[in-house]
Amino acid sequence: MNAADRPRAGQDRAHGTAVRPAVMAHMIPWFPDRERSFTIARALLDAGVGYLEVQFPYSDPTADGPAIQKACADALDAGFRVADGFEYLERLRAHRDVPIFLMSYAGLVYRRGVAEFVRRAADHGVTGLIVPDLPPGSDEGLYEAAQRYAISAVPVLVVTARQARIDAVAAVRPAYIYAALRSGITGRRTVIDSDSLAFLDRLRPIGAELMAGFGVQSAEQVQALAGHVETVVVGSAFVRVVEDVLSRRPAEAARHTDTLYEAVHAVARELVGS
Amino acid sequence: MQATHSVYHNYFGQFGGRYVAEVLRTPLDLLEEEFAEAMEDPGFQREFDTIADQFVGRPTPLLYAENTTREIGGAQLYIKMEGLAHTGAHKINNAVGQALLARRMGKTRIIAETGAGQHGVATAAVCAKLGLECRVYMGEIDIRRQKPNVFWMQMYGAEVVPVTSGSRTLKDAVNEALRDWAHSFPETHYVIGSALGPSPYPDMVREFQSVVGRETRQQVEAAGLEVAALVACVGGGSNAIGFFAPYLDQPEPRLVGVEAGGTGDQPGRHAARMGGLGTPGIVQGYKSLFLLDEDGQVQPTHSISAGLDYPGIGPQLASLGASGRVEFRRARDQQALDAVGRFARNEGVVFALESAHGGAAALQLAAELPPHQAVVVNMSGRGDKDLFIMAGELDRRAWREFLLSEGDRL
Repeated sequence: MNAADRPRAGQDRAHGTAVRPAVMAHMIPWFPDRERSFTIARALLDAGVGYLEVQFPYSDPTADGPAIQKACADALDAGFRVADGFEYLERLRAHRDVPIFLMSYAGLVYRRGVAEFVRRAADHGVTGLIVPDLPPGSDEGLYEAAQRYAISAVPVLVVTARQARIDAVAAVRPAYIYAALRSGITGRRTVIDSDSLAFLDRLRPIGAELMAGFGVQSAEQVQALAGHVETVVVGSAFVRVVEDVLSRRPAEAARHTDTLYEAVHAVARELVGS
Repeated sequence: MQATHSVYHNYFGQFGGRYVAEVLRTPLDLLEEEFAEAMEDPGFQREFDTIADQFVGRPTPLLYAENTTREIGGAQLYIKMEGLAHTGAHKINNAVGQALLARRMGKTRIIAETGAGQHGVATAAVCAKLGLECRVYMGEIDIRRQKPNVFWMQMYGAEVVPVTSGSRTLKDAVNEALRDWAHSFPETHYVIGSALGPSPYPDMVREFQSVVGRETRQQVEAAGLEVAALVACVGGGSNAIGFFAPYLDQPEPRLVGVEAGGTGDQPGRHAARMGGLGTPGIVQGYKSLFLLDEDGQVQPTHSISAGLDYPGIGPQLASLGASGRVEFRRARDQQALDAVGRFARNEGVVFALESAHGGAAALQLAAELPPHQAVVVNMSGRGDKDLFIMAGELDRRAWREFLLSEGDRL
C-alpha cells in the first residue's frame, strides 16, 4: 500500500475510530547470520507487519543502544557486505512485498557517494531511507537524490525538538517522518504519555505519515499510539527476542530454525494485534 | 587566551561539519552559542588564565636538546615540554577550558572518553578541582594498556567505565560517551579530548589548546631562533593543531604532523590516515579522512601508543594536509621506542610514546636541516604512564619477573 492510499491516522480519529497503527518491524540482515536473519524476516512478514525497517549493519552505530549495536557487530562478524544487503532486500520482497525502509548511517551511505547509494536503494525496490546522521541541512544531497530516484528520505524528529527544527524539517516536505518518542538512544523502554502524544500531534500539520519509535516494546504501547500515528516502529524488542532464543538454547537454535521463527512470530503477532 | 571573532568555522575546506542524529542537535546548538559567548568574555578568559597559571603550571618550558643536537650535527633541536603540565600532557588545557564552559552552562556532570588515559586523567583532575561529577568511558584494551591512568582517574574521584563494544579502544569509548550524552545533556557536558567530532568541538579544542602554540611562539622569539619546522604527533590531532595554531595563516615555518606508522602499511597494522591510506568519510559526527573498508566500515588500527590508534584525523588537520600547509610523516612503533630511549639518555627527558612519534620525526628533520635553523618538537606528554609498556619492551624477562614477584608479595 502506498502512503497516499492509506487512511491517515488523523482522518480516522475525525471519524471517532482510532485505528491500531501498522507495525514497522526492524531487523538486521546477517544477524545472527544470513539464513537465520532471513528466518527472522519471514516470521515478521508472516505475522503481518506493515513495513520492514532493514538496518544495514555499521561498525559505529552511535544512535543505537547496546542491543542493536551488538547485533550489528555480530552481523558484520557473520560477513555482511553492503552489496549482499541489497540483494537480500530483493529476497525479502519476493517472500512478501511490504514496503521496505532501509536504515543505516552516513558512514556507509557516504562512502561511494550518497547519490549512488540512493540509486542502488531505489533499484532494489526500497520505499524509504532512514539515515539519522544525515539530517536535513547536513544531508550531503540525500534529500535531493531521493527525489531524483523517487524514493523517500525519512527525517527524524525527537520529542525534545524545538519548533524551529520542526519547521526546518517540514520544509523538505517529507512523505514520512520518524518520530523519536524519547531523547537518547534506541532500546530503553519509553512511557507513552501526554507529552509524547502532544509532540506527535504537533507534527500532524506537516502532512507526513508518522512513524513513531524508540523504546516501543509492547502491544499496550502500540495501542496507546492509535489515532496519533500511522505506524509504530519496533526495533530492539525483536533483537532481544532473538538474543533470548540464542542464549537459551544455543545448540538447538543453531540447528533448528523453527524455535527462532516461532519466538519472533509470536511477539510480532502480539504487536500487530492479528 | 585571545578573543577572536573567527573561532567558529564548522567546516575546514571540505571537512568538518555536524553530522549527528537529531537527539544531539540541541546540546550541540547550545554548546556552540555558549562557546562563542565565552570566547568573547574577558571574565571567562581570566578564569582560564588563572587556572592555567596556578593549576596547570603554565608556561611549560622550551628545552634546548643540546646533546642530541651535537650528536646529530644538523639543526638545533628544541623540545616544548608540554608534558610537564599538570597530569602529564597537553590534555589538561582543553579539559580546563571545557570544564569551565560546562560550569558556565550550569552543568553539574562531566563525561569524557579516553584512549591513552591522559584526557581522562586531565578531565578527572579538573572535575575534582571544580567540584563536578565525572565519568570517563575507556576501551577495555586501553584500560589494560594504560592501567596507571585508570588508578589516577579513580583517585581523583572519577568513575571509569570499561567499554567492551567494537574494537574496545578510543573510538568505541567515543560512541559510548555520545550515547550517554544523548539522554543526559540537560545536566551533563561531554568533554571531547581531541580536535574532532561534530562542530563546535574541533574549533573549541583548537582554541583551548592554542595556548601551547602561543607560548612556543613567544619562547622562540625571545630566544631569537630561526625556526624551520614545528613537529607534533597526530592521533586525533589536538596537540598538533594547538601547537600549529598561531602559524596556520602564514607560509613559514614548516608544520609537520607525525602519524602512527605502527608495524607496517597493511590495513590493521598502523593508524596513518594521511598520505593516501585514509579515505573521505563521515564518522562520529564529522567529515574527514578515516581508515575505512570498501563499504565504509571503520577498519581496525594498530599503534604501540594508545593515544594514536584512532581511525580518523581531526577535520582541520585533514584540510591543512590537503592544502599542503601541514606535511605528514609516519613513525613506526620501533622508531618511537628508540626516540624515547635516545631523549632519555641524552636529555634526561622521557617522552610519552605518542609524543615520541613526533620526537622520532624531529630527529630526522634536524639531520636534514642546517645548524643555524631550529626544529621544535612538542613533547605533548611525558612518559610516566607508559612504564608498563616500555619496561616490557625494553627488558621483557626482568619486568615479568618483577611483576610476578610483586604478585606473590601481594
